[in-house]
Amino acid sequence: MSFDWDDDFNAPIAGPSFVDRARNAPEDDDFPIADEFGGGRAGILAQDVAEDTPFQQLIRHWLNERHAPDILPGQELLLGRLLDHIRKQSNDVELLRADPDSSEEEHFRIMLVQTEIERVKFVIRSYIRTRLHKIEKYARHIATTPEIHERLSKAELDHAKRYAKTVEYHFTQSVLQSLPPEQRKLDEDVAFMPPMIPAPDKLRPVFAHALVDCPPMRLPDGSATEMQKGQISLTPYHVVEHLLLRGEVALV
Amino acid sequence: MALPPSLRTSVTPPELELVASEQLVEIIPLVSMERTAFISGAYGPLRPPTKCKMPLWMASNLKLKKKCHIVPPTWLNVDFLQDRLTQETTLPSFSEMPFRFAEIAKILLDVAPDDLQNPEKLRTLLKDIREARQAKSREGLSKLDPNELILQNLCAMEINEIRPFFVRGMAVLTQLTREPPPVEPMDET
Repeated sequence: MSFDWDDDFNAPIAGPSFVDRARNAPEDDDFPIADEFGGGRAGILAQDVAEDTPFQQLIRHWLNERHAPDILPGQELLLGRLLDHIRKQSNDVELLRADPDSSEEEHFRIMLVQTEIERVKFVIRSYIRTRLHKIEKYARHIATTPEIHERLSKAELDHAKRYAKTVEYHFTQSVLQSLPPEQRKLDEDVAFMPPMIPAPDKLRPVFAHALVDCPPMRLPDGSATEMQKGQISLTPYHVVEHLLLRGEVALV
Repeated sequence: MALPPSLRTSVTPPELELVASEQLVEIIPLVSMERTAFISGAYGPLRPPTKCKMPLWMASNLKLKKKCHIVPPTWLNVDFLQDRLTQETTLPSFSEMPFRFAEIAKILLDVAPDDLQNPEKLRTLLKDIREARQAKSREGLSKLDPNELILQNLCAMEINEIRPFFVRGMAVLTQLTREPPPVEPMDET
């Protein structure tokens, strides 16, 4: 447990070793995509290792969503699985409660199951609320950018479009129709002013925790750097965005 | 709005506690229970006095109903923390602590002080470690640059504490370095 990571970090980054490291970077198909991120993650200290259950994965996605300035791909499969599980557990609890022969032991089993259901529901609710907040904040941007559409579920996409239309209608009715025709637009680009359609701020710094050794990434000043497994660094969002989408990095 | 403003920039400590409570701890049950299937896995059967592993939230629930004793994790004892405290005060870098030690220690000290050896000393040690690390984070603020800041061995609760300052600071630095400073010194706008 030596503390000379300083020396490693100051080693020259660019140059032929970059190519070697890029060549030796982990293959993408070692880490299956979808909603399973493999068993490859490990904790910082051995006690932090937990199995990668669906609930653990949801917690990771929830924390990523909370910290990221942009909307991340929605995890419908994962949510569906967990919601089914919750429904099954609630039904079992109902059956057990209705049964008059249940003993003392059953009571606190039921209580534990109910507590866990509440915990999972809390995380699911918070996850959906965070996404909803971002969708409403960037509704017009989403409506005009087709690439984001695949990150949203069908219901979310419909909501975004309807919300954008409603807001536009509201603005038109209350203010814009009384303005001269040249000033009625909601999407003009004026020089030196921020755009009228707010886009997610990809420059915002985030704390990224590397779950595996990451391939090199490009920093704002042009230099390249890479993260070792277990390293935490504070860096602009766009630097780690592609790693986050691949699941090699989690926001903490 | 969908998300209250207080939640928009960072995670709250109770939420961090929720995440930390998923970790497994060992308990010595005082009642017996069959193997039960939960959403995060199946736990049990509980057969006193054999030890069993279960998530921290379950263990603290049972402890509050006086149905188990919690075995403290290997790092929650006076010697380990004393050793870490000396490392914190002598070396300029952060010592290696379990990632969610603050949350887990808080839960265990609140719920099961009788299962820990010398809880008062543990409290003072944890407080001292926390203050030493906070002092180092404050110094780390001067190392902020718009590219990347590596924080070795920083823990969840501490990251949450420094998040507002560091994020805003780095965002401003990014803005300043993105736009080259204006050339005229005369115009004051």
